[in-house]
Amino acid sequence: MEQPYSGVTILDLTHDLGRYAGRLFADLGAQVIRIEPPGGLADRRAAQEEAPPGAAPAAYEFEFLNASKLSRVIDTATQAGRTAFASLLAESQVVLLERDGPLFDELEWVKSLASAVVVTSVSPFGRSGPWADAPSSDLVLQAAGGIAWLSGRLDGPPLRLPGSQATMITGVYAAVATAVALHDTLASGRGHVVDVSAQECIAHSLQNSIQVFDFEDRISMRGGEGTRDCSEDMFACKDGLIFLAAPRTLGVSWNALVQWMRDAGHPSAEELSAGRWSDRTWRMTGEAKRAFRATLESFTKDYTKEQLTEEGIRRKVVLGPVSTVRDVFDDPQLLHRQYFQTVTPAQGAHPLKFPGAPYRLSEPVWRVAAAAPLGHPEQSR
Amino acid sequence: MRPDFLKGVRFTDLTWAGAGPFGTKVFSDFGAEVLKIESMTRPDSVRTAGPFKDGVVGTNRSGYFASRNTGKKSVALNLKTEEARRIVIDLIAQSDVVTNNFGPGAMERLGLGYETLREIKPDLIYLSMPMYGQDGPRANLLGVGMTISAVTSIMWHTAYGPNDPVGPGTHYPDHAANPYHAAFAVLAALTHRRKTGRGMKIDLSQVESTANFVGPALVETSATGEEIPQVGNRSRTDAPHNIFAARGDDDWVAISVAGDAHWQALARAMNRADLLDDAALASASGRLAALERVEAAVAQWTRERDAAETVAALRALGVPAAVVARSSELVQHDPQLAARGYWQHVQHPEVGPVLLSSPPFTIDGERVELDRPPLFGEHTQQVLHDLLGMSAQDVAGLEASGVLS
Repeated sequence: MEQPYSGVTILDLTHDLGRYAGRLFADLGAQVIRIEPPGGLADRRAAQEEAPPGAAPAAYEFEFLNASKLSRVIDTATQAGRTAFASLLAESQVVLLERDGPLFDELEWVKSLASAVVVTSVSPFGRSGPWADAPSSDLVLQAAGGIAWLSGRLDGPPLRLPGSQATMITGVYAAVATAVALHDTLASGRGHVVDVSAQECIAHSLQNSIQVFDFEDRISMRGGEGTRDCSEDMFACKDGLIFLAAPRTLGVSWNALVQWMRDAGHPSAEELSAGRWSDRTWRMTGEAKRAFRATLESFTKDYTKEQLTEEGIRRKVVLGPVSTVRDVFDDPQLLHRQYFQTVTPAQGAHPLKFPGAPYRLSEPVWRVAAAAPLGHPEQSR
Repeated sequence: MRPDFLKGVRFTDLTWAGAGPFGTKVFSDFGAEVLKIESMTRPDSVRTAGPFKDGVVGTNRSGYFASRNTGKKSVALNLKTEEARRIVIDLIAQSDVVTNNFGPGAMERLGLGYETLREIKPDLIYLSMPMYGQDGPRANLLGVGMTISAVTSIMWHTAYGPNDPVGPGTHYPDHAANPYHAAFAVLAALTHRRKTGRGMKIDLSQVESTANFVGPALVETSATGEEIPQVGNRSRTDAPHNIFAARGDDDWVAISVAGDAHWQALARAMNRADLLDDAALASASGRLAALERVEAAVAQWTRERDAAETVAALRALGVPAAVVARSSELVQHDPQLAARGYWQHVQHPEVGPVLLSSPPFTIDGERVELDRPPLFGEHTQQVLHDLLGMSAQDVAGLEASGVLS
């Protein structure tokens, strides 16, 4: 079966922020070859170490971000390795480089090897500027990119998003930038050099907070005090939490919620019909938030997440369960759509459950395979 | 640079609000012709949501809209009318891609289902991105970006600590995972079509797309059966790793220690020989066991200094650190973004200069220069004339009958 990127070879020298980009291409048919020094790139070496108790075994992140990729050992520090790399590149269309990894500091040499190639560099702050070499981490990038500022409670510190989101955001942007450049390279024969900054990728993902500052001279604050409606939050129910959104701008959701309480004969319907709940400005105050929480939770406490979700769908109330990672595997919609994939790691471990494709294409051109062991340039799909 | 990489590609773009238009913006920024179909009978919610220039509400005054729709053409069409639906089909017949982020079944009800359109344009690329997919027991669940965070575990794990979830402060999936997975899929479909001559339907469930952003956590949980801990700003592998208060009003600094070398450098920067010599803190596991003591020492040090001063001291020693930047910091003071020319001002006829983020990468050493977003209906007449051969009189007639409202 012809896949969108079959016939495209990508040499992937990334070890952290750039890894998801190669993964996306590999699942759609590109031959993505990790070019690794003896012993493997940094992420493989970390994955092979035994994790201390309580730590996230790096192996799972490794398997997810490097699935469907192949591996070759090439020591680009030696002349023989450089010759081998050069001859591989002559038959490739894309090179992915990352700061602190092989050949990142030899961009000019890599470019000189082939003219019709896309060379994408991924780094925490970009190749240029005063912070080009600054040390970084997921937490530091979420802080420097402005997204940590936007989460948390007003009386607590800013809060980062979970699970290496700097890697995910940077990876998906790097994939799109590379795909756009490749689209041109395949048509025109012009090569391109793409320089992706993780900090910029995060700063590009801040909802409307840049425009709020530019147009209204306001700083978007964590906690949503003064900006978010009292109904847009998590609320307790019988067996956990739900997320609800019923601001007056989503009138259908609000009206259906109040009607539901009324149909259930619950006194909350009376309270939420009072005039003050029509005042959009008041609804954003701390006072409204406290009052709404008490009123709503007196109603939701008798229902489970599942019951509330089902009735919410029926009544067109915007709400859903707040799921743990384990809950995600039991999501009836994802199960119905047979979303999860089983991937058996190459080195004898038990099968793992992977999230399925981020998009479903009408031709069966997406498929995932286990990450290749070190130095395995072929894979049985 | 104003790249022409996607010149010759035409979109009939029915997406609205945040995630859909942010994805199709990639194409208009790279030279594709993106016809944004919109109507004031059901206005794009980001046109009405603001922020508005100087706080003055107006259809063409929303900064949110501006940031999601650079370089597009606005074609006003009221799809509640039969005539407008006919016009959309005629436009699609001359387009390469049609995009929407409506709920399941909405396109079919408009007579714009994939099977219908494929008969008109056999090699069409058709992107739908409903929240939970086209079919299944929760396909009709109504949601916003935060709902997607909720059902994918991002909300639960955006937490200060165990059983203390807060959730992301933004509709996070709308701003990275979903628009960019969508753009990647359309680019792949264009590549596929170039080789095979065949179009494709893309069904992007925004929940399924976003669940990939928690991929490592899902894989780990599937292997262990255990819920991963809610660690917030902390790390499961080392300490100190947190956001600490700095001197000033609501100023914060992020510091992440990974490995003993970082710890030793930090202890030296803090001038704490006692901590440096403390054998109990020499290893990551020791520091994690003494978390409270370690964090208290760092907090005591950071609160007496400006965040930038702390960052400069730690960066020089190779310890990852950053000011927790708010919007004003990014725009006015961040030397890195400034040096790389990240911010652009684009002139807009109604609101003057609009501050926009560049695409977060350079290409061949240059920034992608953005074109301004369209005024509502700005290109209706031009598009109907150039693509469908309508005269000024035809257009005036449609206008009078409310088709272009």
